[in-house]
Amino acid sequence: MYRSWLTYKIIILFFLSTASMILEAYAPPLEVANHSASNIAPLFNSTILYQTNIYTPEFNLNADSVIVPLKRAGHLFLIEATVGDQTGNLVFDSGANGLVLNSTYFRNHVKSSGSTPSGVTGSLGAVEQIAVNRLAFADLSYKNITADVTNLGHIENRRGIKILGLIGFSMMRKLEIVIDARKNQLKLFKIDKAGKRLTNSTPEFKADHTQKIEGNSNILFVKGIISGKTLIFCFDTGCETNVICSDCNRSIMNTLTITRRSELIGAGKGGSEVLFGRMNDFTIGNKKIPNMETVITNLGALSESYGTKIDGMLGYDFLEQGIICINFVKRQFGIRFMKGEEK
Amino acid sequence: MKTIKRYILLLAGLICSLTSIAQYNPDKVCHLENGQLIFTINLKWSEKEKNEVSKLFDLDSVLMAKVYKGETVILIDSETWKAKKVKPYIVELSKPIQSNADQNIKANDLFTVVDKWMNFEGNAPDASVVYGVNDFKIANTFLYHQNDAWFYLPNNKSAGKVYISGTFNNWSTTQTPMKAGTYGWTVDLNIKPGKYAYKYIIDGEWITDPYNKLREGDGAGGYNSVVYCYNHHFELKGHKEARKVAVTGNFYKWDQRGLQMNKTSDGWSLPIFLRDGTYAYKFLVDKEWMTDPANKEVRKDADGNFNSFIEIGESFLFKLDGFTTANKVVLTGSFNGWNENELLMNKTAKGWQLPYAVAAGNYEYKFIVDGKWMTDPANPFSNGSGNTTNSFIALKANHLFELYKFTNARSVILTGSFNGWRKDSYRMVKEGGKWIFPLYLQPGKYTYKFIVDGEWILDPSNKLYEQNEYDTNNSVLWIEPS
Repeated sequence: MYRSWLTYKIIILFFLSTASMILEAYAPPLEVANHSASNIAPLFNSTILYQTNIYTPEFNLNADSVIVPLKRAGHLFLIEATVGDQTGNLVFDSGANGLVLNSTYFRNHVKSSGSTPSGVTGSLGAVEQIAVNRLAFADLSYKNITADVTNLGHIENRRGIKILGLIGFSMMRKLEIVIDARKNQLKLFKIDKAGKRLTNSTPEFKADHTQKIEGNSNILFVKGIISGKTLIFCFDTGCETNVICSDCNRSIMNTLTITRRSELIGAGKGGSEVLFGRMNDFTIGNKKIPNMETVITNLGALSESYGTKIDGMLGYDFLEQGIICINFVKRQFGIRFMKGEEK
Repeated sequence: MKTIKRYILLLAGLICSLTSIAQYNPDKVCHLENGQLIFTINLKWSEKEKNEVSKLFDLDSVLMAKVYKGETVILIDSETWKAKKVKPYIVELSKPIQSNADQNIKANDLFTVVDKWMNFEGNAPDASVVYGVNDFKIANTFLYHQNDAWFYLPNNKSAGKVYISGTFNNWSTTQTPMKAGTYGWTVDLNIKPGKYAYKYIIDGEWITDPYNKLREGDGAGGYNSVVYCYNHHFELKGHKEARKVAVTGNFYKWDQRGLQMNKTSDGWSLPIFLRDGTYAYKFLVDKEWMTDPANKEVRKDADGNFNSFIEIGESFLFKLDGFTTANKVVLTGSFNGWNENELLMNKTAKGWQLPYAVAAGNYEYKFIVDGKWMTDPANPFSNGSGNTTNSFIALKANHLFELYKFTNARSVILTGSFNGWRKDSYRMVKEGGKWIFPLYLQPGKYTYKFIVDGEWILDPSNKLYEQNEYDTNNSVLWIEPS
């Protein structure tokens, strides 16, 4: 579900949610504060910083690997989890830095000691932090972790499904993450200090294309090529459609097919334009992926939030192209395009 | 020679006209070029094509009218469009791509637009299905009797964990594990008659039931298995010599092929799920129509045909006391499309009554006493106002909204996502020191508020609430599958 304006959604939704979480890790506080001037209304903006740059809580997993079945609501992927004393769905949202919980169900929980909510400017709700004594899904469990709390009711209302929160990569950074969207599976492998899988029975992931993970954020930036030009995309599993920035190079814009447009009338001067279409010339590695759906919007403000220029977001349509493997220890992002079972 | 030339000209004309028709391709109407959003408009488009393009690209009707009139600079809502004729019937309509968006646009407006484009399907259980018959490759992989369902997944003995996930458990991936047995995996579920979609999860891997031929799209490009939990058996004794026996009725739109019945030791049978309600039906024995000899309930329809009738589910007794001198009292309501002739009430010593089976739901109704319409004097719940006031009933209500306190209030309205946030309904009724309103709600999420003498308040007894677009809050209610 999302991007540009979609993004907005996304943005608004996950992006934002995501973005704000990530900000802590990637953007300096001052830049984050500027986010409120964005023309993209975030789901929530948070200037809250965690005590460390990257929040990667310890977990307990008694096996060398685990398969987490993913549920779907629209183009969202959901993980069934137990958070504190409640069991329900978390949106698997790599745009979210850590754990973001829905205030409808968690507003009465004890506030996390040692951190004070501040500078919250989100248009759809404020963000607070709480301590969660237990998070568990599949065979993974975490104790005494920190989570942000914000209003996620709009996701529930649009998808008709109960959403306890969002979960991002930070919770699984020390594992190798394999996302098989077509099979609705998330596979997590224990890895050693060199990033190799512990178990000998499962061979290493064979990718058709790999990229180095740049930066030190929980948000992944992936390079793609359109019209011969390299673009930086945010890899966001919470994005229900891809997004591409409307102020990209004109030769890039010229390669897009536009299939829908909508003018949204706002309370201010003029309206806002949402364009929807297809990328005809997207290449990653040596693989050309035609016909990926995308929303076209202005992402400038979002780029500011990330502290780096981003040209778009790769979401659901990209995930459907193959099996994706992310290894933060090896700093490697890989994708295998061929169909078939991941081993 | 002249004839050949004529043919060539005719052919050329035909090709030209075909080309003109072929020019309508919505994918080629709009493109981006050097920062400009350009629409290629063909002045020969039919009204239908023109309307479709206007809809796909949200092009204002005034703008389109001006383009067709031949205007070259068009100002719409502070945006300047330029129209340029590039061929006799082709106009290029352009404007700069918008780079700055209005900050005041509400997120939900955007979501709504994109959702509509993407045409998402829901995973919600389909409560509107009227009937259903299972189709398993092996009969004993699913059994159902009086709310007890038994699912059996043969083989997969090497699996570590197997779960069943479906509409009966909100698609939980963790709540319903299956038990390993000698020949495979089984699970017992306590579920009501109805239609359910499900899948198995074998060591984290989703699969449809390999022994169930009934499937439906899962909204994500795959399939879910579908099973019906039965609540009725059609039975016809004898007729063993018949080659084919089927049953049809209003639940099957009186399709003359009917649903084929199975031969048994003493006749024919068809187990089936039928949604709660009242049904007319007949058997087709080698294409010969017949009423059910074992069912005394036979009624004549408007065309003079006799049909057997059954009621599925508990019936509700509609009663009207008094009016003992009336000649005819009819029950009519939203449950039967406000039919004024169908449901004749029966005279009793005290008045009139009619038992009537209808599916769980919220209904409005009235009585027609010798042609005069009236609300139910014994029912305090109503909807609408003035002459359009109807009695209201929630049959098999599964949630009672209650508001304690405010007993001195003149009116309390219950409003929410279930009734489009109407400000005039539902009118709560004061009873036993509290305001109440019962509703039947399908599984899912609902947001609501009370309006106490014009003031909107949250439900004080519900700790679940969420922020709304007005920066106030709405109470949140989840109805779980039952």
